[in-house]
Amino acid sequence: MAKTYDYLFKLLLIGDSGVGKTCILFRFSEDAFNTTFISTIGIDFKIRTIELDGKKIKLQIWDTAGQERFRTITTAYYRGAMGIMLVYDITQEKSFENIKNWIRNIEENASSDVEKMLLGNKCELNDKRQVSKERGQQLAVEYGIKFIETSAKSSINVEEAFLTLASDIKAKMEKRMESSNPPKGGVHVSKASDSTRKPESWLSRCSLL
Amino acid sequence: MANVSIQDIEAIDDYWGPTFRSILEGNAVESISEQLENRIKSHDKDIEKICNLYYQGFIESIRELLQVRTQAKSLNNEILSLDESLQAASDSSLSKGKELVRARQIEKNIVTTIDELSRCLPVLECYSRLVTQVNDRQYYPALKTLEILEKEHLTKITGYRFTTEIVNSIPKLKEHIKKSSEEDFRKFLENIRKYSSKIGEVAMRQTRKLEKRDIESFIQDFKANEKNNFSTDDDNDVCAQDLIDFSPIYRCLHIYTVLNDKEYFEKDYRQQRTDQAKLIIQPPQGMHDNLEAYKTYIYSIVGFFVVEDHVKNTAGDAVNITYLEDLWSTSLSKVVNDLNMSSSSCTDPNVLLRIKSLIMLMINTLKTYNYTVNQLWEFLYGMRDHYNEVLLQRWVHVFRDILDKESFLPLEVETQEEYDDVCERFPFYSEQLENKTTWPKEFPFSAMVPEVYHQAKEFMYACMKFSEELTISPNEVATMVRKAANLLLTRSFSGCLSSVFRNPSIALTQLIQIIIDTQYLDKATPFLDDFVCKMTFTENNIIHGAPTAMFHVARSEAEKYVSERICQKLDEFFELTDYNWLLVEPNGNASAYISDMLSYLISTFQSFAHKLPNIALSSCKKACEHIAFKILDLLLCDDVKQLSVGALHQINLDLMQCEIFADSDPVPGLQKNELTKFFDKIRQLLDLLMAEDWSTYLHDYGKSENQNRYCLVQPSTIIIILEKMKEAEKKTMFTVLKKSERDKKKLWETVLKQLRQLNEKQN
Repeated sequence: MAKTYDYLFKLLLIGDSGVGKTCILFRFSEDAFNTTFISTIGIDFKIRTIELDGKKIKLQIWDTAGQERFRTITTAYYRGAMGIMLVYDITQEKSFENIKNWIRNIEENASSDVEKMLLGNKCELNDKRQVSKERGQQLAVEYGIKFIETSAKSSINVEEAFLTLASDIKAKMEKRMESSNPPKGGVHVSKASDSTRKPESWLSRCSLL
Repeated sequence: MANVSIQDIEAIDDYWGPTFRSILEGNAVESISEQLENRIKSHDKDIEKICNLYYQGFIESIRELLQVRTQAKSLNNEILSLDESLQAASDSSLSKGKELVRARQIEKNIVTTIDELSRCLPVLECYSRLVTQVNDRQYYPALKTLEILEKEHLTKITGYRFTTEIVNSIPKLKEHIKKSSEEDFRKFLENIRKYSSKIGEVAMRQTRKLEKRDIESFIQDFKANEKNNFSTDDDNDVCAQDLIDFSPIYRCLHIYTVLNDKEYFEKDYRQQRTDQAKLIIQPPQGMHDNLEAYKTYIYSIVGFFVVEDHVKNTAGDAVNITYLEDLWSTSLSKVVNDLNMSSSSCTDPNVLLRIKSLIMLMINTLKTYNYTVNQLWEFLYGMRDHYNEVLLQRWVHVFRDILDKESFLPLEVETQEEYDDVCERFPFYSEQLENKTTWPKEFPFSAMVPEVYHQAKEFMYACMKFSEELTISPNEVATMVRKAANLLLTRSFSGCLSSVFRNPSIALTQLIQIIIDTQYLDKATPFLDDFVCKMTFTENNIIHGAPTAMFHVARSEAEKYVSERICQKLDEFFELTDYNWLLVEPNGNASAYISDMLSYLISTFQSFAHKLPNIALSSCKKACEHIAFKILDLLLCDDVKQLSVGALHQINLDLMQCEIFADSDPVPGLQKNELTKFFDKIRQLLDLLMAEDWSTYLHDYGKSENQNRYCLVQPSTIIIILEKMKEAEKKTMFTVLKKSERDKKKLWETVLKQLRQLNEKQN
């Protein structure tokens, strides 16, 4: 099977129930919006291929259920993730406060070098805003991660958010590949790094013989 | 003696014989002659005496005569003068007399003239009356007069110039009358064209009144009349045909009859009316959903034929049965055709209903005028199908609206009122839910279920509405409604639903909810049947017959789609495969995509297996089948040209993961090996390839299943893969030419040859 992409990044969307993770994903994958709220059960994913610096990158984005009762299912997916979107709802103070818990969750379950990003969703509902943009930024700075306010409904910054996260992962990976030849280092061997390693292993084997 | 004899002779006149004898015998002749001489002397003496005497008298007479002559002369004079005077006197009288004669002549002439004139006068009077009548456009009396003139007067009087003129002018007059009456007739025709729709309207209104007439309305009418004592509605008693003055026709007909041209008139009338009919049955532009246009159209047609019927009944042969039947049947087909065309492009069920009642009324009205209306009935039956079709389309929108608004989450109610409302709309009872005391209560189905159920009922009701008064048996109506509802639910609703769950934004969760919803709808089907029975007053015989499909189609499609959806997701996973086909040695881990895929499957089935075990079971089987197929496809795929043993081992590792999954009862209700059997084929293939167990394969080939370890592996499959492995070996072998490798290559060549033979034999 011919490979149709250069890199495969697995991303994860997490955050409280109702902050709009599914909508963000739907906006990004189908460029559409659904007004009805349907809580995700367990886990779902969408795949979208993007291009960065001439590289085709497949993004497999996992959409997790925010509800507590699915926590065991969803945490299983943290490990494989290369990037995590932490989503809160700017009109729900509680969802912002819970970001700390979600980060703890990541620390417990995901690989340590996972790229993270903070999203303040529903920014079109400015009149109902409970969390200021500054507080979002403040929190992001605290954890040393990027922050952006998005609106899945009005299609604001969704694309940008994913592209930013993807290019950060890409940069990190390329840097790591340069610095150390055996790219293995994380807990999980990503497929994409596998593929980049392929010719090397072939060559190394050659030289051995 | 001698004396005596003369006496005797003298005495006797004629008998002288004896005397003479005696004389002669007596010798007395001398005595006698002396006697005679004496006698003559005596007589001469006497004569002399007498002459003396008479001469005197003669003289006297001459004297007297002379005297008379003078006297006569004077007399003559006298007479002459008298004559003169008389002449003078008579001259004037004579001229007078002549004058008199002339006067008499004139008088006589006058009398004759008067006679003649008095004979002619009636003719002239008659003629002048005729002319006045013609001028006053009283053509029928004029013709009567003309007839009298011709038959009575002109035959008697001839030879006058004026009569000739009259006779000459008669054809002209007739022509004039004809023309004028024709003009009148034309005007009438124009008029009637204007009025026909009004006539139709009145006729139809009356029919409606008659239809609706029941005891109550009679009583009401009676009461109203008692109160008011006069007619409340002046239109009430007006007969449709009273609206128009038909006299021009009668007049014209009479005139033509009198003119002996009745046939022409009849022909003309029919022709004109036929032409008018053509115009009338021409439907107005853009009638399809314009009720007013239908009304005018139908009114005009009804009006037209009401008029024809009236003319038929009152004006003799102008409208005879053949003509009318002919005209009616040709017009009717055209009308039905046009109505069909128009109504079939009407998409408003309400308008269609109104059209239907309009046509019903038309039928009833025309029936009272003895027209055959079967075609219209048939048209209505046809229209019913169209109506149902329109309803279907409409309900497609209704369903689409419902589904668009639907989030496919279990319906939650906050209050008893809401709860009762749902229960009222949808036949559902759950003791558990009923007894639950805390709010909110959650129904197992989503909000669309009661809504769709309700709309299905609404649809059935709307469907039935058309059949009302259509003289169809209740059973037929029930069947029709069922059929339409079936169509609605199996086609329209299923279509809507299927487009909903094919929408990529619908999550699997929602799809599951849709299936649950359709299950509830399916369960409610008998209630819909009951509803039909109740509406149509029929017995329910469906329960014992074949179950109605109704929601079944929607459900089974959604069910099928669950597997499809899962398989789509599996395909997406397989898109992420990234095998190194020349891998020398696997690191001992299954590929990441396989682990992700299997955990995705586990969590997915967990999420709905308890709700829909059957569907979870079937889609799980489908998923395993699909995975097995996809893995095999990876190996056989044309894009992969080389295949190392290492890569084969990696595939084996992945397959093992799948087998573990299949063995772990991911869904309830599985039988032993029910899932693993899907992987048997690929497992056999991998085992064979990795163990290089060619001798067993070739030995067992063609044997029955339990004696053949690799019964599921086809030679052709092995050939493809072996070729790929050969290719992979080539790449690695150009530096290594160990004996064992060479042997291996030889072995593969032999195996390939044998496999090819088997393959050929098989083919």
